[in-house]
Amino acid sequence: MSTISAPTTVGPAPTNVGPARVRAAKTSEAGRSQSRMSRRLLSALAVVVALAWVFPIYWMVNSAFQPLNKLQAENPAWLPIGGTISNIRRVVNDGTFWQAMRTSLAVVVLVLVAALIFAFLAALAVSRFRFRGRKSFILAILVVQMIPAEGLFISQYQVLDGWGLVNKVAGLALVYTAAILPFTIWMLRGFVAGVPIELEEAGMVDGLSRVGAFFRITFPLLAPGLVAAGVFGFLQAWNEYTLALVVMTDPAQRTLPLWLQSLVESNRATDWGVVMAGSAVIAIPVIAFFLLVQGRMTSGLVSGAVKG
Amino acid sequence: MAATAPTIPGTATPGTTPPVRRRRPRMGAYALLVPATVLIAVALGYPLVRQFRISFQEYGLKQQFGAAPEWVGLQNYTDLLSDSYVWTVIARSIAFCLVNAAVTMLIGVALAVLMQRVGRGARITLQVSLLLAWGTPVLASMTVWQWLFDTQNGVINWTLANVFGLDSWAHHSWIIQPLSFFFVATVIVVWMSVPFVAFSIYAGLLQVPEETMEAAQLDGASPRQRFWGITIPMIRPVLSIVLLLQVIWDLKVFTQIYTLQRAGAPTRDTNLLGTLIYSYSKDFGTAGALATIMLVITLALTGFYIRQMLKEDEL
Amino acid sequence: MKILRFAAVGVAAALALTACSSDSDTPSESASAKPTAGETSAAPEAATIKLWLNGTDTPQALRDYLTTTFATQNPGSKLVIEQQDWNGLVPRLQTALSSADQTPDVVEIGNTQSATFTYAGAFSDLTSLYPELGGDKLLPGFVEAGTADDKIMAVPYYSGARAVFYNKDMFEKAGVDIPTTLADFTTVAQKLTTDKVSGFWFPGQDWYNGATWIYTAGGDLAVKDGDQWKGALSSAESMKGLEQVQTLFKTANHAPADSDSNEPWVPFNQGKAAMFSAPTWARWSIDLPACNEGVDPDDKSDEATAKRTKQQACNEKHTGVFAMPGNAAGEYATAFAGGSNLAIPAKSQHQELAQNLLKIIFSADFQNMLGKNGLIPGNTEYATSMGDDVYAKAAIAAALGAKLTPAAENWATVEGDRTLEDFFQKVASGADLKTAAAATDQQISDTLNK
Repeated sequence: MSTISAPTTVGPAPTNVGPARVRAAKTSEAGRSQSRMSRRLLSALAVVVALAWVFPIYWMVNSAFQPLNKLQAENPAWLPIGGTISNIRRVVNDGTFWQAMRTSLAVVVLVLVAALIFAFLAALAVSRFRFRGRKSFILAILVVQMIPAEGLFISQYQVLDGWGLVNKVAGLALVYTAAILPFTIWMLRGFVAGVPIELEEAGMVDGLSRVGAFFRITFPLLAPGLVAAGVFGFLQAWNEYTLALVVMTDPAQRTLPLWLQSLVESNRATDWGVVMAGSAVIAIPVIAFFLLVQGRMTSGLVSGAVKG
Repeated sequence: MAATAPTIPGTATPGTTPPVRRRRPRMGAYALLVPATVLIAVALGYPLVRQFRISFQEYGLKQQFGAAPEWVGLQNYTDLLSDSYVWTVIARSIAFCLVNAAVTMLIGVALAVLMQRVGRGARITLQVSLLLAWGTPVLASMTVWQWLFDTQNGVINWTLANVFGLDSWAHHSWIIQPLSFFFVATVIVVWMSVPFVAFSIYAGLLQVPEETMEAAQLDGASPRQRFWGITIPMIRPVLSIVLLLQVIWDLKVFTQIYTLQRAGAPTRDTNLLGTLIYSYSKDFGTAGALATIMLVITLALTGFYIRQMLKEDEL
Repeated sequence: MKILRFAAVGVAAALALTACSSDSDTPSESASAKPTAGETSAAPEAATIKLWLNGTDTPQALRDYLTTTFATQNPGSKLVIEQQDWNGLVPRLQTALSSADQTPDVVEIGNTQSATFTYAGAFSDLTSLYPELGGDKLLPGFVEAGTADDKIMAVPYYSGARAVFYNKDMFEKAGVDIPTTLADFTTVAQKLTTDKVSGFWFPGQDWYNGATWIYTAGGDLAVKDGDQWKGALSSAESMKGLEQVQTLFKTANHAPADSDSNEPWVPFNQGKAAMFSAPTWARWSIDLPACNEGVDPDDKSDEATAKRTKQQACNEKHTGVFAMPGNAAGEYATAFAGGSNLAIPAKSQHQELAQNLLKIIFSADFQNMLGKNGLIPGNTEYATSMGDDVYAKAAIAAALGAKLTPAAENWATVEGDRTLEDFFQKVASGADLKTAAAATDQQISDTLNK
């Protein structure tokens, strides 16, 4: 079960391979050189697109190395040559930055652990069992994503306040978890469906307990799905601003987006170089996490997305 | 870094329907749903229900600070729906949503196909840059985009004027005309959305078995025939779901529009549903009513599609 | 909300300055003032109270003064100051003020935001405390903004001061002097204008500055007519002011119509503007290329400090300030006043301690400290503490007859909808004044009477 067997039923079966209007076959020689040519052209195109796409990010990093007067000069400074590291230094020497970093990390870890476990259990239910209300549940978690969140924060605040969870990492994590659960369940359920139950049974025949079989056989196969879902959770929890704004009013409990906003907000002139340095530094953990799990994520998206 | 070849077990699914075999008591399924359901109900369900209830009340800051809310029936709804401005915003939002979803899907599919057809180096370059765009905090990337399009010191204007010699663009304002504003907004929204689409579809493409393609090639199918005849049908489930999500997200778009408005755009001429709801933030009854209207619009846009998916049991 | 702060303008200090020669009563710690809410016992139960201050306007030394003084005067109790950001303050107040557990005990709030919360019943009545805090000497416009149904619910904390900065070299080159009337200001700005240089940097969305012309001409943004509010942009007076605004936009300004009042010193530093109007602290952001010594802001060495001092001196040598002149020579323009109020949330569990804190804030000591830090203190009697350098003089001068936004319950919604930003942008883009003003008046009336 380590290689793919033809996924015959993914989508309508490709029965109709076109009205085999056979074209005059090119000589294989010419075909190959032409395809090498076009591959090279396409590669060049891919690199151009990549550069265009990354340009705003480049600009952020470049700006992080510019002193304010160069940043606000009439002619843009295209390269960080002759730049300054004082912006970056001010960020990493800022105690409140590290405080916010700790808070954000704590929130993200809590959210990921809770969301992945709960979503996984729910995904198990909807993809391994047929039961009354199954489709309604799936529909409900889809519809819930359609409602704009801009007006919900007051009620969410009241829930947290009632439980003494305002200004608490746990409170923020609770709402974030609920917010990403629908999407996470949605992703994971297709994935769970993809692991044939027979595998687990085979393991039990070989003498594993049910739990043992699950953890030794099924769970590892789900890793990519969990990773893909985890990436979404990470992004959401790391970047969320509106709810954190009202829940974390104590400056000691700020998350990173709040910290970043406070740099812009200090009502004296904003030092944009420092803001950009802060932005770049905040992005590092996300990107590191991405790069770390990217390979698995893509494969996770395969089953997650396909099964929808 | 390279996306792994389709050796993933998840893809082996024979069929999307859950096995009917029940090995645990029926209650087991419900038990598994409990944690997620409770959490969603408390932190998402309750606020949603409350918002719905408030949408039938006169509920503003006074009520927030203790005054008793007054039931007004459908007043909030009729007020909104009899306001021609609200209809303008609804139409604008739907148009923006459809254009953005379409452009995002087109570029996303194109880039996914591109990833599949190019060499390893080029593919990794493209993937990394998409990841960077996707992973950067929205707050940060919005600041940068604002700078790039800035009227005075924006790099885009500078380049047009100084590199291409188009002097009339030197102090061109990109966001003061609504159409131009939505063009900029589209660029930014698409920039942020394409990575998810491209990766999902690329992952879907990896699933198309080589053997099928080779067989088709042997049968003499042209690349174009193979793409439309085999690839597209096989990745259709991914396409449908990604498109569905994209429509939902693009109709709700808020942060990008809000930030661009604050950058100096005429607010009233550029409001979309998300920012309009936000502008009612002191009038919770009206905001709630508009949120409900928005849900109805989303369902109207996607309902047929969702039913189709339910029928085909892709859900 | 940030814009609010940036728009901090001078205030009606002078009005009270003339009246303040009388008795300078030091606020006593008399516990005689009867608390309007909460405990009625003589000494409040010891507790920790929370004060929310916004942004970094209140310097650390003043914060320290408040915490230590409060602890001394209220044995066993403690004051915690939590700094909030202007941006996002309103949603925070909407939620936190409704929670007895989370509410701060004293809050700072932007003066144009006050009305919304006072009418909603979010604050405690301070009417009986008002005389003790300074009474009539408190900035009148701010008190009005903090009053709902004849109850005073929020009192003035400070007002920002605003002045016109100008490039002395450009003035010399163009052969112009500091304008003496508002009409003269337009002429001077036009003379300073070249293809590249804006005589007066006037961003299209900068209605805080724009309001100066409307107010000085005797117009208003909205007026109360019976129990209905009415947009007043198309009144004859307002139109007169707006015509001047449009002339300036057209003939003396290259600032983009889509720019706002943030960071007007950037074009000034780039040599693209001869004048701009901003809060007086903008002096620290002036960084003329000719004066730049290229020191690293992190460098704390003596040499770097010396260079920075030299740089600042050079900048200030080439830059002058003046208060916007009025209709006749010797008069000052009626500018929009920005600043903030203080209030005690109704949900606070420590009403009496909170009142004690207010008394400390309105003590002579603290009011003078505000003035020394360049802010016009809430009690105008102490405005003289701002000193007499050119910046302080311009600030106090600008305070003559400054004016606030209409004290309407829904005014914050007008600002939230950015109605005036949209309107001034249209004016800057050359729209027909009559049509634009009439349409905007309609929007303002609709919103205020909702």
